[in-house]
Amino acid sequence: MSLPGALLTAANPAVDAIGSGTGVSSLALQLNAGAIAPEAAVLLALVACLLVDLAGEKAASHWVPPLSYAGLGGSLVLLALQWSPADLQPSFLGSFLADNLAIAFRAVVAASTLITLMLSWRYVERSGTPVGEYAAILLAATLGAMFLCGSTDLVSIFVSLETLSVASYLLSGYMKRDARSSEAALKYLLVGSAAAAVFLYGASLLYGLTGGSTSLEAVGAALETSASPIAALALVFVLATVAFKIAAVPFHQWTPDVYEGSPTPVVAFLSVGSKAAGFALALRILVGCFGSFDEQWKLLFTVLAVLSMVLGNVVALAQTSMKRMLAYSSIGQAGFVMIGLVCGTEDGYAAMVLYMAAYLFMNLGAFACIILFSLRTGSDRISDYAGLYQKDPLITLGLSLCLLSLGGIPPMLGFFGKIYLFFAGWADGQYLLVVVGLLTSVVSIYYYISVIKMMVVKEPQEASDVVKAYPAISWSLPGLPSLRAALVGCVIVTAVGGILSSPLFTWASQSVSGTPILQATLG
Amino acid sequence: MTIASTTQLICFAVLAFTVVAGALGVVLLPNVVYAAFLLGGVFLSVAGLYLMLNASFVAAAQVLVYVGAVNVLILFAIMLVNKREDLSAIPGLALRRVLSGLVCGGLFALLIRVAFTTPWGSGPEPVGDEATIRIGEHLFSDYLLPFELASVLLLMAMIGAIVLARRDVFSQDIATGESVDQGLIEKARTPLLLDRSGR
Amino acid sequence: MVSTPAPGTAPGLDAAAGLDLQASFESLLQGLGLSPGAAHLLWLPLPMVLVLVAAVVGVLVNVWLERKISAAVQQRIGPEYAGALGILQPMADGLKLVFKEDIIPARADGLLFTLGPVLVLIPVILSWLVVPFGQNLLISNVGVGIFLWISLSSIQPIGLLMSGYASNNKYSLLGGLRAAAQSISYEIPLALAVLAVVMMSNSLSTVDIVDQQTGAGILSWNIWRQPVGFLIFWICALAECERLPFDLPEAEEELVAGYQTEYAGMKFALFYLGSYINLVLSALLVSVLYLGGWGFPLPVEWLASWLGQPIDAPVVQVITASVGIVMTVLKAYLLVFLAILLRWTTPRVRIDQLLDLGWKFLLPIALVNLLVTAGLKLAFPAFFGG
Repeated sequence: MSLPGALLTAANPAVDAIGSGTGVSSLALQLNAGAIAPEAAVLLALVACLLVDLAGEKAASHWVPPLSYAGLGGSLVLLALQWSPADLQPSFLGSFLADNLAIAFRAVVAASTLITLMLSWRYVERSGTPVGEYAAILLAATLGAMFLCGSTDLVSIFVSLETLSVASYLLSGYMKRDARSSEAALKYLLVGSAAAAVFLYGASLLYGLTGGSTSLEAVGAALETSASPIAALALVFVLATVAFKIAAVPFHQWTPDVYEGSPTPVVAFLSVGSKAAGFALALRILVGCFGSFDEQWKLLFTVLAVLSMVLGNVVALAQTSMKRMLAYSSIGQAGFVMIGLVCGTEDGYAAMVLYMAAYLFMNLGAFACIILFSLRTGSDRISDYAGLYQKDPLITLGLSLCLLSLGGIPPMLGFFGKIYLFFAGWADGQYLLVVVGLLTSVVSIYYYISVIKMMVVKEPQEASDVVKAYPAISWSLPGLPSLRAALVGCVIVTAVGGILSSPLFTWASQSVSGTPILQATLG
Repeated sequence: MTIASTTQLICFAVLAFTVVAGALGVVLLPNVVYAAFLLGGVFLSVAGLYLMLNASFVAAAQVLVYVGAVNVLILFAIMLVNKREDLSAIPGLALRRVLSGLVCGGLFALLIRVAFTTPWGSGPEPVGDEATIRIGEHLFSDYLLPFELASVLLLMAMIGAIVLARRDVFSQDIATGESVDQGLIEKARTPLLLDRSGR
Repeated sequence: MVSTPAPGTAPGLDAAAGLDLQASFESLLQGLGLSPGAAHLLWLPLPMVLVLVAAVVGVLVNVWLERKISAAVQQRIGPEYAGALGILQPMADGLKLVFKEDIIPARADGLLFTLGPVLVLIPVILSWLVVPFGQNLLISNVGVGIFLWISLSSIQPIGLLMSGYASNNKYSLLGGLRAAAQSISYEIPLALAVLAVVMMSNSLSTVDIVDQQTGAGILSWNIWRQPVGFLIFWICALAECERLPFDLPEAEEELVAGYQTEYAGMKFALFYLGSYINLVLSALLVSVLYLGGWGFPLPVEWLASWLGQPIDAPVVQVITASVGIVMTVLKAYLLVFLAILLRWTTPRVRIDQLLDLGWKFLLPIALVNLLVTAGLKLAFPAFFGG
C-alpha cells in the first residue's frame, strides 16, 4: 500500500510532469500559481468581507467598502504588473493562461466590479439588505468572471461559468421582498441552467472528440481532423451558451426582465463585467478551438450581430423604464462588439477590447446617474426625468455625456470605440454588418437624445411631479461620496478619454499582439 | 455468448429502459410528486450504468449526491409547498406541446445520427477500482484550479441561500434610520417620493 | 451489482491471511466436472443468502435483547414463556406480523405506499455487501467499500419521504420530513468521520481498513487514534438509525408513530426489520472502522507461534476464521447492547436541538478531526498510516 508509488505508476502525462519533479517548490513552479495572484487578491477581499460581516451590520457597512476596494485595487495593480510577460507559461498544468487578452478582460471585469461596488453601498443600505454578503457574492461573481477570461480547459471554463452564473442569480434576487426581484432571479436561474446544460452537452461532445482530454488545445487539435456534423453540433451548443452570456438576440429573452427586476447596481455589473467575461470566453473557444470552422461560426455570429443590433436598438425606442431601455441598448451594444469578433483581424480583436473598456466607463457612468436618481426619487421611469436640469445639473450632465457616448457622438470615448469597430469591419469587408451598425447607431442616438431632451429642454412647469418634489441635494450619507466619485470619474473618462485615447489604443493592440491564440489565427 | 456478457446485456437493457421511461415520466406526468420520485429512479439507473462501465466510485458518488442530496431536497421542497392550485389554462397548450415534442424529437434524431456517424476514438482504458486514486490525482494536479474554484462556488451558493432564506428583516436603514422593505428602490407604480409626500 | 467481478477474490491477497471459501468451493465443484463459469454461478447466490439469513437472525437476536434489556433496566422480567428465557418471543412477534391484515388506507396512494418500505429496506440489506467477517469472508470486496455504504444509506430518506407522503396523513408526512432532514444532517459528519479513517488506511475498502488495524492487537485499533471520530460516528449512526435519543421521526408523543402511523402487517414489519438490520449494520461498521473488525485483542500470529503452529495450517486457518467471525459479532453486539441501554435510559432531544447538534457541533468537530488527522498523518506517518 505504498501510495506515492501507486500515484506515480498510475500517472497520466500531465501528472508525470509533477511526478518527475523533486518537491513542493518545483510543484509550485510548475503550477505557475503566480498567474492567479489578481484572483487571489479578490478572494482575500471576499473572505475578509465575510469575516467582518460577523461583527454585525454596523461594522460591515463601515469596513466592507475599504476591504473590497483594497482587494479589487490590488487585483488591478497585480494585473498591470503581469502585463506582457516575458515568457508566457500556462498555469495549473494547463487550466489557466494569463496572456494579455486574459489580463485585459480580467482588468475590465475587476474595474467594473470596483465601480459597481462604489455605486452599490447606498442602494443596498437604503433597501435594507445585508451589505457584507452583497459584497461577498459580487466578489465571487467577479472571481468567476475573471477565471472565465483565462480558463483554457473545459472543466475550468464550466466551473468558473457556474461561479459567475450562480452569483448572478443570487444577486438578481437580492431584494428578496420584492416580487420583481424574485421573478428576475427565477427567470435568470431557469434560462441560465438550461444554457449551462447545453454547454455541458457541447463540452461532452468535444471531450469525446479528443478521446479523453479537456484542454482547449487538445480540443482544437481534435477539431481540425474531425468530421463536420459533430463539430457543427458542438459549435452550436457552445455558441448558444456564449450568446446567452452576452445576451445576443435570439438568446436575449431573459435580459429585459432580469435587468428590470434586479437591483440597479447589479444590472450595471451584469451589463459590463458579465458580458466582458462572455466575450473573453467567445474569443477563447471560438477563435482558439473552432479555427477550422471559422466560416460557420462567423456566419452564425453575423446573424446574431445583425439581429442584436436591430432588435436591441429598435425595441429600446419603445421603453418607458430607464433600466429596460438600457437593457435593450446593452443588447444592441453587444451586437456592435460582435462586429469585431466576426472580422477576425488584428484590428477587429483590438477594437473589441477597446470598445469593452470604453463601454465599461460610459455604461457604468450612465448607471451611476440612474442609481443616484432613483435613490433620490424612487423612480426609474424615463418620463420622470423631465425637467431634471433645473434641480440636479450633475445627474443631467453626467447622464447626457454618457448617453451621447453610448450613441457614438464625437468627441466622446464611445465614438472612437465605435468608429474603430466599424473601421475594422469595413477593412475586413463586413459591409453588411457595418451598414447595419451605422443605421442602428442612428436609431440609438434618437432614443438616447430623447432622454437628454426630456431632461434639458422642458420648462420648469413641464417638469414631472417627481422632479417638482425633488429633495435637496445632500452628499452626507455614507455611500454617497463613493457614488459621486464613481459618477464623476466615469463621466470624466467618457468625456475626455476620447481625446486622450491613444494609450487605450496601444493597450488594446498590445492585448491582441501578446496573445498567442489570436496571433496563431492571424497567421 | 458467455454468461457474463449475457448478464451485462440484460442489465444494460433494463437500466436503459428505466432511464428512458423514467425520464419521460419526469417530463410528462402531471403529478409533480411522481415526477420527483421518478427522477430519483432515473438517477439510480444512471448510477447503475456507471457501474456497468466499471466506474464504481462515480456510481456511488452519483447515488450519494443526486439521489441522497439533490433528489431529497427536491422532494422536500415539493412536500413543504404542496399546495394544490388550479392554474389558469394556457391558450394553445396542445399546439405548444406538439411543437415542443417535434423540436425535441428532431433534436434527438439529430443527436442519434451524429453519435452514430462520428468515428469516436477509443478513450482511455477504464481503470476499475484504481479510479478512486486516479480521480484524487487529477483533483490535485491538472484539475486543481477548478477544484479549488468549486469551493468558492459552494461557499458563495451557501451564503446566498442563507441570505435569501433567512427570515429576519432589517426594519430600518442603518445610516438614516428610515424604514425599509428589502425591495427595489424603484417602485413599480407609485414612486416612493410621491407616495411619501402624499401621506 | 454482483455481476461486476469481485476484485477482492483476485490473487494478490496474502493467502495466509485467511480462508478463501470461494476458491475452495469452486475448485470442489470443478472437481465434480462443472465448468468454471457454472461453478461461479452456483457460488454467487450462496453468500448473499447466507448474509440475508445472518441479518434476519441478527434482528431476531436484537429484538430479544431489546426486550430483555429493557425489562432489566426497568426491573421487570420481560418475555419469559416462549422458549427458554423467552428466546422464541421474536419469532412469535414476527409470525404475528406476517398474519396481520395488510391495510392500505382508503385515500392513500397505494403504489407509493407499498414501494416506500421496500425502498427503506433494500439499501440497508445491500449495504451488507461490504461488511467483512474475515479476510475473505464478505460478499464483495469492492474498491469503494465504505463509500458504497454511505451512498446507499442516503437512499433511505427517499423511501421514508415516499411512505410519509403516500400515507396521506399529516403525522406521517411530518415524520417522513423529519426523518429525511435528520438523515441528511447527520450523514455529513458521519461521512467526515469515516473520511478520517479512510485517510489513515489509504483505502475505502473495508478489508483494507481492518488490515490496517492489525499488528499489535487491541493497541492498533483505530479507536485509540480516532477517539473523537469514534464518538462522532457512533452518535451519527444512532441518529441515522433513528434510535433514541434521536428517534424524532417516530416520536409517539408528537407524531403518533411518524411515517409508520398508517402501516400494519408485513409492510410495518419491513420498517421494523429495516431499522433493526440498520442498527446491527451500524454496530458492525463501528467495529470494522474503529474496533479492529475481525481482529482478536491479541494478534493471532503471536498466539499461533506461542502454540507452535504454523499460521497457514488448515486447522489454524479454520480456527482463525471462526474467531474472526465471533469477534466481529461480539464487538457488534456489545455496541448493540450500548445502543439499547441508551434507548431505555436517555430522554429524547427536541428537533431543533437535534439539528443544532448536527450542524453546529458535530459538523465543525468532524472537520477539525479530519484536519488534525491529516496533520498527524503527515507528522507521524508510522502511527497514522503513512
